[in-house]
Amino acid sequence: MANGICIFAEYYNGKIEPVTAELITAAHFIKETTGEKIQLIVVAKDCDQLVKQLEPAGADEVYAVETKRDCIFQDDALSSVITDMIRKIEPSSVLIPATPMGRSIFSRVASKLGCGLTADCTEVLTAKREDGTFYIKQNKPSFGENVFVTIETKPGIYPQMMTIRQGVYTAYEGETDAVKVTYLENIEIPASKLEVVEVVPARNDTNSILASETVVVGGRGAEEEEDFALLKAFAEKLDAAIGGTRPLADSGKIPFQNQIGQTGFTIRPRICISIGVSGAIQHTEGIKDTKLFVAINTDENAAIFNVADYGIVGDMKELLEAYLS
Amino acid sequence: MNIAVLMKQVPVSNDVSVDPETHALIRSSSEGMINPADLNAIEAALQLKEQTDGKAVVFTMGPQGTQKALIEAMGIGCDESVLITDRCFAGGDTIATAKVLARGIKKYGEFDLILSGALSADGATGQVGAMVAEYMDAPYVGEIQGIKYDETDAEHVVAIKKYQDQEYHIKTELTAVMSVCFGSNEPRFATLRSMRKAKTKPLHVYTNEELQMAAEDIGLSGSPTIVTDSFEPENERRAEMFTGTPQEMAAKLKELIDNEKGKE
Ligand SMILES: Cc1cc2nc3c(=O)[nH]c(=O)nc-3n(C[C@H](O)[C@H](O)[C@H](O)COP(=O)(O)OP(=O)(O)OC[C@H]3O[C@@H](n4cnc5c(N)ncnc54)[C@H](O)[C@@H]3O)c2cc1C
Ligand SMILES: Nc1ncnc2c1ncn2[C@@H]1O[C@H](COP(=O)(O)O)[C@@H](O)[C@H]1O
Repeated sequence: MANGICIFAEYYNGKIEPVTAELITAAHFIKETTGEKIQLIVVAKDCDQLVKQLEPAGADEVYAVETKRDCIFQDDALSSVITDMIRKIEPSSVLIPATPMGRSIFSRVASKLGCGLTADCTEVLTAKREDGTFYIKQNKPSFGENVFVTIETKPGIYPQMMTIRQGVYTAYEGETDAVKVTYLENIEIPASKLEVVEVVPARNDTNSILASETVVVGGRGAEEEEDFALLKAFAEKLDAAIGGTRPLADSGKIPFQNQIGQTGFTIRPRICISIGVSGAIQHTEGIKDTKLFVAINTDENAAIFNVADYGIVGDMKELLEAYLS
Repeated sequence: MNIAVLMKQVPVSNDVSVDPETHALIRSSSEGMINPADLNAIEAALQLKEQTDGKAVVFTMGPQGTQKALIEAMGIGCDESVLITDRCFAGGDTIATAKVLARGIKKYGEFDLILSGALSADGATGQVGAMVAEYMDAPYVGEIQGIKYDETDAEHVVAIKKYQDQEYHIKTELTAVMSVCFGSNEPRFATLRSMRKAKTKPLHVYTNEELQMAAEDIGLSGSPTIVTDSFEPENERRAEMFTGTPQEMAAKLKELIDNEKGKE
């Protein structure tokens, strides 16, 4: 009988990714109702030290498979190993970070298991069926962020598998009781048709709005030559990258690569200062996971104030001049 | 090199709302366009096809009206297209969709490479390409920036994938499946002339008559997951508004920024 909440412990360069702790929090919410064990799974070449990082993380069990080779991006081989692990563990649910790696490996795992994979959940809720079994309501945004939908795995299909967006649950900080570590020994890692042949530092040309901790976003309210110069000076002072709305990309004020939104890029900066932007959904859906989001707009009814944490009604010119002096 | 491109027609606008009584989605417009990332997949396919003297065939699964998008893709430069359409395919989740696409591709013939977009504007799961790879039993590289091909090694291509701060070059046996990132190249446009020519290019239509898929593999019944509810997002957090003179507000702004920057 399927039992247990399994979490894929993603890592990079020998370090468990912080999102793992967020999924442990989500799993504890499920556990409160169902009482199931929380199980972490990890597949790696240098497995021991990753297991060490996972031991105090707040789970009940860690399942590990040690591979003879480094298998980063070998999704064909990795998905086969993980499928075997899940068949052995038989969890009722699997929580996966909604990251490039999570999507790519677990799309294959889901296809192998025939169990489905709900993408990009922002909330997982436990509910009970009439026959007394628990199931998970997998809530996720749809059509940009305009509508939310609840997705369920059909009764009788296990595991219920879903990716969960980063940043929606806070990292688990609770106590860890005794953890049971199990190395699954007789799982073979098959040959892969993929091989990393070269790794070079990524060119950081247009990547800055994606990489920068602070992004200043300009809209048509900051488009005038003089205003945009002020915005630039402000961004420089903050050591921030400059992004913009589509009209600014269309008029050539910013390169296309710095356009934010549905037909542009999605940024996840820690600090976002939005200046002269009305806040159309096609634009705002490109800004995610900010810790501090401040909007400056002359129009107190601008939609941007529905998504920002703080709002300043006023002329960007007066405000930035005051800031810079 | 023969390349299949998976293309999805998506609504021009994501502007939808939920009917409070029926919970049905109300769309503000029914106009469709080629999914933005799929234009980058098409461009990557055309560049490789030109380099290797092969052909590019674009596949879509959708309702009859999707033909328009296929013709546009051929106007941009794809050689042929396949419309996979049948009422019984409708309503599928990513698993059911990928199964049908994989069957359609196999029905057409052999390909060296299958490209999809990294993400669709409406479904936005980024899963369909990887699932197609599983059903084709082919290696998959997701969310790539480009593809390198070298004539001296016709059995492989190298996918270029940005990950964290690195650029990984991943050598891949063919037949392979890859998903192409939005913005990774500059898609060419169709012209009036190329659009006229597109209308004479082959457009194949596959229904389940041709694909012969079992009911339990397709559409709603072939989907392990179902949508059970839809709702409007809770009224989004409303910003806390600053008050005072521009100088006072600027000072408060500075304090907030400095405070956030000061955190680890
Ligand atoms: C399918 C589709 C896809 C789209 N994709 C994108 C996308 O990816 N990215 C994107 O950005 N847009 C996109 N758009 C366009 C989007 O709908 C909006 O039209 C656009 O974001 C508006 O840009 P804006 O806020 O700069 O301009 P406006 O809407 O004109 O807003 C300007 C704002 O500046 C304020 N303002 C004016 N003067 C000042 C001043 N002195 N100080 C302070 N504030 C001032 C005004 O009050 C106003 O709110 C898309 C549209 C569609 C239909
Ligand atoms: N119905 C479909 N027909 C053809 N290709 C599709 C379909 N759905 C998704 N795809 C492809 O899969 C990619 C990712 O879609 P998604 O998983 O919905 O984000 C898209 O960019 C398309 O290339």
